[in-house]
Amino acid sequence: MKQRIIKKNKVMDLLSSLSESYRIYVAGEEKEISRFYEFNPEREILWDYSNTLIPAKEILFPQNQTLYEYRDQDITESNAKIPDTIIFGVRPCDAHAFTLMDKVFDTQEFQDPYYLKRHKATLIISLACNIPGIACFCTSFNSGPDGEKGSDIILHDLGEKLLVKSVTEKGEELLAKAGKDFSDPAQTDIDSKNKIMESAKQKISPQVNIANLKEKLDQAFDADFWDTLHRKCLGCAVCTYLCPTCHCFDITDETEKEVGRRIRCWDSCQFPLFTLHASGHNPRPTYKERMRQRIMHKFNYCPENFDHTFCVGCGRCVINCPVNLDIREVIKEING
Amino acid sequence: MTKIKETPDQKTIPETKKYKPTIVAFLCNWCSYAGADLAGVSRIQYAPNIRVIRVPCSGRVNPFYIVKALQNGVDGVLVSGCHPGDCHYISGNYYARRKFALLKRYLEYIGIEPERVQFSWVSASEGGRFAQIVEKVVNDVRKLGPNKSSIVKSLK
Amino acid sequence: MIKEIRQTVKQLFDQNNIDIFIGYTEGTLPLRKTPCFITKAEDVDKLVWDSFCTNNLTVYLPRFFVPKPREKEPKWPKVGILVSGCTGRSLVGLFKEKQVPRENIVIVGVPCDGVVDIKKIKGIEINEGSENKDAIIIKDKTGKEKEFKKDDLLADICVSCSCSVPPVHDYLTKGKGRVTMVPYTGVKEFEKMSREERWAYFEEQVSKCIRCYACRASCPNCWCKLCFVDHTLPQWTGITNNVSDVMFYHIGRIFHQAGRCVDCGACVAACPVDIDLRKFTYKLIEDVKVFYGYEAGLSLEELPPLSTYKPDDEQEFMTEP
Repeated sequence: MKQRIIKKNKVMDLLSSLSESYRIYVAGEEKEISRFYEFNPEREILWDYSNTLIPAKEILFPQNQTLYEYRDQDITESNAKIPDTIIFGVRPCDAHAFTLMDKVFDTQEFQDPYYLKRHKATLIISLACNIPGIACFCTSFNSGPDGEKGSDIILHDLGEKLLVKSVTEKGEELLAKAGKDFSDPAQTDIDSKNKIMESAKQKISPQVNIANLKEKLDQAFDADFWDTLHRKCLGCAVCTYLCPTCHCFDITDETEKEVGRRIRCWDSCQFPLFTLHASGHNPRPTYKERMRQRIMHKFNYCPENFDHTFCVGCGRCVINCPVNLDIREVIKEING
Repeated sequence: MTKIKETPDQKTIPETKKYKPTIVAFLCNWCSYAGADLAGVSRIQYAPNIRVIRVPCSGRVNPFYIVKALQNGVDGVLVSGCHPGDCHYISGNYYARRKFALLKRYLEYIGIEPERVQFSWVSASEGGRFAQIVEKVVNDVRKLGPNKSSIVKSLK
Repeated sequence: MIKEIRQTVKQLFDQNNIDIFIGYTEGTLPLRKTPCFITKAEDVDKLVWDSFCTNNLTVYLPRFFVPKPREKEPKWPKVGILVSGCTGRSLVGLFKEKQVPRENIVIVGVPCDGVVDIKKIKGIEINEGSENKDAIIIKDKTGKEKEFKKDDLLADICVSCSCSVPPVHDYLTKGKGRVTMVPYTGVKEFEKMSREERWAYFEEQVSKCIRCYACRASCPNCWCKLCFVDHTLPQWTGITNNVSDVMFYHIGRIFHQAGRCVDCGACVAACPVDIDLRKFTYKLIEDVKVFYGYEAGLSLEELPPLSTYKPDDEQEFMTEP
């Protein structure tokens, strides 16, 4: 697809003009929490951040999503009109994660209307990583700092200017329409980008080896290593909530006489109550079973069901885990 | 605009058209509830804005009941028990006293108006005292206005 | 100090006094240390002790002693644990609340000089780091180096540390621990603010919450099998991020710590969105000290303040007509 150049100082203008027909989310930081906020021309665009704390999944799969509400006898589905949306500045790992979420929410048996409606209306503009974060390991999953899976447009930061590449038809359409500040790239720009990406890929270490991991785990449900791997885990939900591919949810009803709502909200397999049955039986009663579930789900069950490991190597779980339980170390130990 | 209700032998109780404070009162069965009952039997007039919940002992009142009541939108909470030393269960009100000493100061600290959550001792023979305490609480809460802080959860 | 710790632990294994030891080892991120569980003498060299050993290890103890009502004599392990001042106080709390049996724990105490709060290094992503006696030196993604004085980065809980030596221990390594103490004035300063300002601050902090429950999971005092947030009959508070529900959760969890919180800072360190929890937990710590003369975790015999009473307890807060 076509490549273009835009000067970095023109991006704010571009977004401002796009914001007239799109709802735009940009990576930003407020009160020291970085996530994707609605575009505000007064908030600086982040170019050098490793990754946001809260992943872009919350735009398509919000933490609390009202499915429908009732008032007296009227029921309204809260999904009516989703405006055209752009998420700007998504890192390639988060964009890659959207392709995985699609596999879960768009299956032959069931297409989740709440996720799909949002996704269809959304255009992803990713920003390649010039300097990977300390815990990044995206190259272990058929991706990399310049990965294009899940993006409609990918940007490369060349310093004063950005190399803009459309990845999908949708992306190309947008760029063709928006085009006044774009120009053609010179060969030096392309060389510069290639050099930056090479250096970025080399900085990513350590790698996680997933070759044959699924097969190994097929035989490993009753293995001994589960008895020790879980010990550090506190059983909070930081890893699952900050993971761009984790998608488990709970549905709760909140009612107040004649008004009520049904709300879908994030849930975590690490909570003790996640698998508690009404009878009182819990098939995952201790931290061991829950840790095993997390690893098996990501590296065995999902490869089985969706042909892809459900990890994109963004490193958020590694950095934010209160006890530094490192999933890379866990995989290393399982690999032996 | 206040409309003053004038009925024979009723104290003037100013009432605004829109705001009628709602106060939940947790009364211990043996002393405070009996005291409230005595006030009723003795035909003592007092503000009708309290909704009584009878509990066996003030020590039974879980601090969460108070926070939940505020979350449900009540304007004030009153918890009343037996005088120290007179608890029907010997020491329930002593534990309650410690619990509520900490709770009241903690809620005040985070910014909830202190007059919204009040505690008292009323014995079974103190019908008049009960009425006076209710009048005081209702007046305090009325002055504060309705509970519209962000702790109130309303779907409507 | 670390040599002494390793030696003590090796001895414990050699004499068959413990089945498992909980300590710290090198983490996988710059400067981070992480809890580690060792089961044999050969692994003692994994143990480390420095200014980044911040996790409260006692949180792991209750899960070793889950009651087994069908077994007459449950076989519980003998667990060794490395504790400093505040974590040692947490341990005393767990003994008192009968979550952990004293006879099954071997306490290796370390007088603590204070730990560093990495979150105080703001605006820099740490790529590499090292520590020496007085300073922390870090390198960011681009290789730029920056040096910080350790005292400037000391965790807030350590600046106001009132107990740097574990009150109950079986072994104690050499050292005095932290002796300088600057009292925490956050509560007094907060009280000077107007009511509206205080509520606005509380709301602002609490609305950052993502209901991950890292605070609850990392707190040794939160050992309940079924937390109040997980109750459904009745449901105390909703599970969404509705600000009223989040407030209920925080008010509830912090109030459940009344008379039990030892100010170990585990909740503050675990929170991924940096809610200022200490400003609220410390109010209860102060009130309990002022009214009932009690500090959690210092004595095994003293009754917790909410489990006892005095006929002449203060009652200034009560309403009189």
